[in-house]
Amino acid sequence: MRHVLATKDFRDGFAEMLPACIGLVPFGLVCGVGAAAAGFDWLAALGLSAVVFSGAAQILAIQLYAAGAPAAIIVLTCFVLGLRFLMYSAAMAPHLKPLGVRFRRTLAYMLADQSFAVAIRRFDEGHDKHGAALHFLGSGVALWSSWQITNLAGFFAGNLIPASWSLDFAVPLCFIALVAPLLRSLPAVLAAAVAAVAVLALADLPMRLNLAVAGVLGIVAATVCEIARERWTAR
Amino acid sequence: MDGALKLWAVIVAVGAINYLARLSFIEFFAQRRVPALLAQALRYVPVAMLTALVLPMLLAPSIGAAPELGPRVPAAIFAAVVAYYTRSTLRTLGAGMAALWLLQALSGAR
Repeated sequence: MRHVLATKDFRDGFAEMLPACIGLVPFGLVCGVGAAAAGFDWLAALGLSAVVFSGAAQILAIQLYAAGAPAAIIVLTCFVLGLRFLMYSAAMAPHLKPLGVRFRRTLAYMLADQSFAVAIRRFDEGHDKHGAALHFLGSGVALWSSWQITNLAGFFAGNLIPASWSLDFAVPLCFIALVAPLLRSLPAVLAAAVAAVAVLALADLPMRLNLAVAGVLGIVAATVCEIARERWTAR
Repeated sequence: MDGALKLWAVIVAVGAINYLARLSFIEFFAQRRVPALLAQALRYVPVAMLTALVLPMLLAPSIGAAPELGPRVPAAIFAAVVAYYTRSTLRTLGAGMAALWLLQALSGAR
């Protein structure tokens, strides 16, 4: 374990995630505040953030729980919201193949929006798989740890940041920082455009199903575009 | 059901289901080849999913709030340009927050 923590890849991954950890502080605080408002004790608040480790799912579970929804509905809704993890898992699968079973299963636990985007970029840059996996572990550990701290801080101290500072804007900025650099090819721009239109047009779908559907539509559009372009240039 | 028990049951069940979703294809493809067409499509997962995630955050900052254009959209576009060229989360955060604060100060809103 010590050996892993000392590797350059692990430390690089940890360091690379730190700006996003800072940007996501308002999100973690909101989750902690929500858990306190819904009547969780501190252990349950920590349990939720540690076990679920997904801000969107945590907020949704807290809201539904506070509204007195049946447990089955809460679980089902969070499953639908988590459908994107199936896509992350599939995209990550070929890269994690050479790893040992335990390493793979540990990394699966760290698969969140931010850590996934950073990790897949690293793998796609063509670094050796084991080094990129250590980088993923480092970024995952940074994200997970800061997430627990900010959730607990929100639970105990409330929303520390005055709303007038608009620091909640840092949360979408963390996502923009990852997605904007990807818009370098026609299929990628199309994927974003289709996903953007779909997620807004389908906003009335139940259980935030619009997220996963918009993602799939964007992916399909980009793939079709890429294949059509290949055929065109091959002629 | 007892309140605390229901809460912990929910936490464990939601956590387990999320973990199984995260593990699903990592396990499934550990022993199998990923079909070529699927592999091609999966390269667009980050760009499509991150876009779908960020847009509702921008247009309706708090859940249930009416979409508003406000100064956030131009600030976000500026941040996206900075992100495109710098590929740096830190610079994107700095540029986006600075742009938002500047626009808010100029418009006199909050």
